[in-house]
This record gives sequence, C-alpha cells and structure tokens, in this order.
Amino acid sequence: MRLELRDVRFQYPTGVVALDGVNLTVGSGEALALVGENGAGKTTLVKLFNGLLRPTVGTVLVNGEDTRRQTVAQLARHVGFVFQNPDDQLFARSVRDEVAFGPRNLHLAEGEVRARVEQALDNVGLREAIGRHPYDLAVPERKLVALAAALAMHTPALVLDEPTIGQDAQGVERLGALVDRLHAEGRTLVSITHDLDFCLMHFDRVAVMAGGHILADGPAPDVLRRVGLLHQAQVEPPELVQLALGLGWDTMVRTPEAFAAQLAEVRR
Amino acid sequence: MITVSGLRYRYPETDRPALDGIDLSIEVGELVGVVGANGAGKSTLCYALTGYVPHFFGGTMEGEVQVSGHDVRRTPVSDLAADVGLVFHNPFNQISGARYTVLEEVAFGLENLGVEPEAMRERSLQALRATGLDDLAERSPFTLSGGEQQRLAIAAVMAMQPRVLVLDEPTSQLDPAGTRAAFEVLRGLARSRETTIVLTEHKLGWLAAFVDRLLVLHAGRLVADGPPRRVLAEAVDQPWGVGATQFTRAVQAARQRGLVAEGTILPVTLDQALEVLR
Amino acid sequence: MNGEAPRRPSGLQALHPLTKLALMLLALVAAAAMPTTLVVLAVFVGLLVPLAAWGRCLGAFLRSCLRVLWPFFVSLVLIQGFFTPGPTVLMHVGPFRYTLEGLQVALLFSARLLVGLGAATLLMMVTRPDALMRALVERGLPNQIAYIVVTALQIVPTFQARAHSILDAQRSRGLETEGRLIIRLRAFAPLVGPLILSSLMEIEERAIALEARAFNRAGRRTSLVSLRDTRGQALLRWVLLLAGLALVAARLMLWRAA
Repeated sequence: MRLELRDVRFQYPTGVVALDGVNLTVGSGEALALVGENGAGKTTLVKLFNGLLRPTVGTVLVNGEDTRRQTVAQLARHVGFVFQNPDDQLFARSVRDEVAFGPRNLHLAEGEVRARVEQALDNVGLREAIGRHPYDLAVPERKLVALAAALAMHTPALVLDEPTIGQDAQGVERLGALVDRLHAEGRTLVSITHDLDFCLMHFDRVAVMAGGHILADGPAPDVLRRVGLLHQAQVEPPELVQLALGLGWDTMVRTPEAFAAQLAEVRR
Repeated sequence: MITVSGLRYRYPETDRPALDGIDLSIEVGELVGVVGANGAGKSTLCYALTGYVPHFFGGTMEGEVQVSGHDVRRTPVSDLAADVGLVFHNPFNQISGARYTVLEEVAFGLENLGVEPEAMRERSLQALRATGLDDLAERSPFTLSGGEQQRLAIAAVMAMQPRVLVLDEPTSQLDPAGTRAAFEVLRGLARSRETTIVLTEHKLGWLAAFVDRLLVLHAGRLVADGPPRRVLAEAVDQPWGVGATQFTRAVQAARQRGLVAEGTILPVTLDQALEVLR
Repeated sequence: MNGEAPRRPSGLQALHPLTKLALMLLALVAAAAMPTTLVVLAVFVGLLVPLAAWGRCLGAFLRSCLRVLWPFFVSLVLIQGFFTPGPTVLMHVGPFRYTLEGLQVALLFSARLLVGLGAATLLMMVTRPDALMRALVERGLPNQIAYIVVTALQIVPTFQARAHSILDAQRSRGLETEGRLIIRLRAFAPLVGPLILSSLMEIEERAIALEARAFNRAGRRTSLVSLRDTRGQALLRWVLLLAGLALVAARLMLWRAA
C-alpha cells in the first residue's frame, strides 16, 4: 500500500497554510516516522492519507488512486488511523464491542470479527480487559484499546498519531515490538512521534517537519544525526545519537546492543 | 515539610489497594521525583499529598499524611490548596473557564483566597514572567497552545505561592519544546529552594537531571528511595517496570560484553555515560 | 472577544454592567408595556440605536438584529395576517383572508421582538459576561451560578471542535454518516457517545483543577478587576427602575380603562 503526496499544499479555511510544497512517498511496507514540533503540519499531513482532508493544491495517492475520488469510509479499508486522543472514539460498553466496531463497519461475518478482536487485543496486551468498560481503564490503556480497534481492521497501511504518549516502559516496549511485527508483516506504517529514541529503534525512515515543510527525509540514522536540523524543528537527537556523537563516532547505532557491538569494534 | 506514615488507600469499589503502606519524609526545598509503572500508584500518591484522596475521590484511607503543617485527612482540599499546589497532565482541563484573559486566569486562585488586588496583580504578573507568558497576559486561555496552557496551569498555581508543589506527569502531553519550557520553569522555581517539589514522570532523562531524590512505586509500595542515578541503576535489575534511558541501556549492554567494569554504576545522563566510557 | 486585544472602552462599554443591564431591562419593559407599534419602534430607535452608536457597534448591532429577526418577522406577518379575524380584509388567497388587523398584530409583535432581541444583543456586545457576573456576585448572586454561566459560554464552543475530532475518528473507522436515515441513526451513538463520555471526564478533571484554585473555599473573596461605578450611575439605575415600574403601572391602568 503505497502512499504519495505530490506537490501538496494545504490551507485551512481560517487561512493558515499548514503544508506548503510537500512531496513524500511512502513505499509499500515502509515504516516512516514523522518528527517535529507541534504545529509543523504533521497531523495535517497524515490526515491527507485517509481522506479526512483533501489537498488544496496537489495530489494525494493511496495505492495509486487519487484520494479526491474516494470517500473516507472507502479509504478506511486501506489506511487505518489511530488518533492521539482515544476518548475521541470510545463509545461502546465493552472493550470487545469497541474493537469490533471497525470490523463490523466492514461487514465481516461475526466469527471473523470475533477472531480479529481477540487477536488485536492480544497484540496490545489487553486480552483480559475484553469484557470491561473502556472508561474503567486508565488513559494509557484506553489508547491501547484504540490501537487494537485500528489493528482489527487489518488495513495494509496504518497511521499512528503519538502512540507512546503516557505509556510506561513496558507499554513502550510492547508498542515497539508491535511496530516491528507490523513492519515484518509488510504493512505500511506512518507514525507521528515525539519519542525520538522510539523512532530510531523502530523506524527505518524519518522525515523531519517544520513550518509546513519537510526539512529532511531519509534513513533514520542519517537524518537523526543532523543536530542542527533537528534543533530547527525544535527536537533533540535520540539519546544513542547523542552518545555516539559524544564519543566522536561517525556511524550511528540504533539499539543498545548495536552500540555495544560497535564499541567493541572501536576498542579493538 | 511532608510526612507520610502507614498510608494505605483503596479507591471506592475496587478490591486492590492503590497505595499499600507508604512511609515517607520530605524536607523543605527538596526536589523529589516519583517513577513507576502505570498503575503503581504515582497519581494516587500525588492526590494523597494534596487531599483529593480521600476528600474528592472517597474510598478508604489508613495512616497519616502531614503536608506543610496540615493533617491532610482533616483539612478540606480548598484550604490545602493555598499551601499545596497540584498540576496534572492535561493542559486543557486545568483552564478554569471562569476568566477571559490569561492574567485573570492566573489571579483566579488568589481571588478565591481573598488576596488584596494590588498584591494579587503583582503576584500574577510575577508568575507570568516566571513562566514566560507575560506577552500573552491579555489573550484568552483557550487560544494558547498545549505547552503554553500547561505553563499557565503552573503559573496559576505558583501565584498562590504554595510551599509544596505536586506535579503529576506534567509533560506527558507536551512536545519536546513544551517539555523543555516546563522544566525550565521548574528549575527557576527550584533555585530558591523555598518550594518543595514532588514530580511524577516517565521521561527519566529529564527527571534525573532535575531532582535530588527519586522514589520508585511498585504495586502501591515504595520500593526505592535515593539519589536518581543509584535508584535507576538498581531499577534495571528489578521487575518494577521503571524503564531506563538509552544511556543506561547502552552501558548495560557494554557491561554485558565486558567492555565496562562489572562494578560500574550505570549512567542515566549523557555526561555520566561519556564519563563511564572514556 | 477571544484572543483579541481589548479596544479602549468607549463610553457605553465603560459603564458598570448593572447600569447596562438596567438600560436593557427598561427597554424590554417599555416594549412589553407600550401599546402601539410606533411607540415600541420609537424605543428601538430612540433608546437602543443611540446606545449602540455610543458603544461604537451600531453596524454590527443592526446587522445582528435584522439577521435574527427576519425569519420571525416573515412568519408572524404571514401567520397573524391570515389567522387573525378582523373586519378589514386586504386580500384574498383562496379561502383565506388576509386582514389589516392581523398585519397590525404582526407588526406590533415584531416590534416587541425586535426590541427584546436588540436589548439582549446589545447587552452581550458591550458587556463582558464575566464582568456582568462579577457585578451580580457583588450583589449576592451565588458564586457557583456565576461560574456555571461564564464557563458554559467559554467551554460550549469547544464542543464543536471536539465533535469534529470525534467525527474524524469514527469516519476513519469506516463509520458512514451520509445516506439513508437508518445509516444516520446508526451513526448517532458513535458520535454522541464519545462527546458525552469525554465531557464527563473533562468535568471531573476541571473540578479537580478548580479545587486546586481554592474555588470552594469558604471566606472572603476579592476581585482583580474592580468595576467602576459612580453615584451618577447608581442614581440612574434607581431612576430606570422607577421608570420601569411607572410604565408597568401605566399599562395596567390603561388595561383597566379599556
């Protein structure tokens, strides 16, 4: 599921230009992280992928089709979306019904729906909460329910808006494992994140945004070492990059294990 | 300034206690961080120090909590508010909605306390300067960004000049710039060492650089209490779910390969890591 | 009102909120009490319009009044004209007769409505709600009520943004919102549910924030902003009150005489 933005400009009715001259292609099966301060245009950009917003100028293509010619409900089958605020979507009386909502909108058989719900909840580690009322869960767990709800739709592409906010260490680790698994399955992933360590570890590609433009777009270790650029976007480099640069290294590492391996090399 | 003895608390209609025997003592001017997995009791501890537990949430509470000379169990929350301030993680929900400008929003608490208008204006302006919001004094709070709204919440509580300030994951909904600005404000406040600050966070790097002392909560119990680096190094081998910075993990991986001495205390910050590795 | 730098208060804006309230209430009473259309219109033209001009919002005021009034005006003219019995028939439309008396009733009612809407609109244009609430609290209105009114005015508009976010979120999960009635009905729970539930959460957190500002504290409260009042205005308010009572008395006597 390939996602493309061609010369996209987006202006809100208020006159604010949120995106200006943006070109971006996310190939099928790629995992892309979007970083940059609030207001840079990240959320506007990802909303173009499922048709919630249509470009003022330019073209957005999902799997080769112009999004202008498809409805949001149609695009929802191809591009799943997990919003930052889970309370914008939770309305069912049980976690099961909440997660089943999406698949039911796809008119799947009940047996299939049930299987998907259970699998999605397993993926986010909330299987035991299946019968509980979503609002009985704490906010970070509600976020995971929202994520499960999107997973259950089995979309080839998935957009995540700040998935790690409010999660504890175990939650972040579980999300990381989930992202890795989805990537291995061949899903196209786009994630907005402020957690640059998470970004470096789980996403092959990073795009840095500021002021409605993409400042840089490339392999994670390459982009995330450009400290000046990151500062322009009001973000700090990941801790492992800071460490590598502090040691005078030229090559970046993405995980602590890779760090130790490279340290061994350097010391030799 | 803060004394907690034998604190046990259970929210209404739950079976498991949220806090299961906490004993704690915090001196004037200390900067204390609280970490732990979600559900460990961090927020509940914040509420217990500010009186929402038990007064706002109900439930069953045992033990004693003394904060700034008040017995929390016997003092109404509104009376505690003057001495013990609370800031929590949602910036939008901390706007009172009762005032039309940022300046008036900051003064709102002082009006409720019956502070004289002259002093009120001075304290409010001072709080706005300390939080970098003085240019926004005449704006509506609803037009501010999330990070600005959170600083406004801090300013509104700071203006009341509490002796203790409790912050529950204040930066969790902020971007890196907002997080940095919030910690700068706290650093400014901490400089005088007059205000005791208790702060829960998941962002270990920021926390470790700011606080003198770190508490770890696990399943409602206090399982560690000491200098940040030592506590976080210990947490790495424990099932507390505290996590670690990448600096810690990198050196831990190096230590496993024998590249770093066995007895080395794991670093938390960049400077500590570079020191260990050189 | 939101986010704009305050214009230097003009004459009307600078008056004490209760004075402005008294002026508007007098206009309302006059409109209700006066028996003929022309006199009621005179209240509009003679009282509200000059006040609006003094408040430097005449254009906006007139536009707002007309915009809100015209649908009522049209319905009144039609309904009263056709369904009020009377001797003077102006025209026939099929079996229906349009009477002059009906038209007169419609015009009087419209004029009263114009003054009523005009007074409320003008009051909102020249008085900040929180200033009005402060003035009432000074006179004994419970703090809690004042809070609810002002907060409702500020928070309710945010529901619109929230409803939009909810719509986005649910559409992204495949919710259909256009089409047959049954489809729209099914969309009701997923759209309204989150709005209500998240509002409840918000209310609870805001209550916590209010406690942190000592909102429920018993004891003396002070005010950052003092509302300027003058003896002249206090006197004027008494005069307006008496004038209002006099109008009501006169009307009752007229009624009795008729």
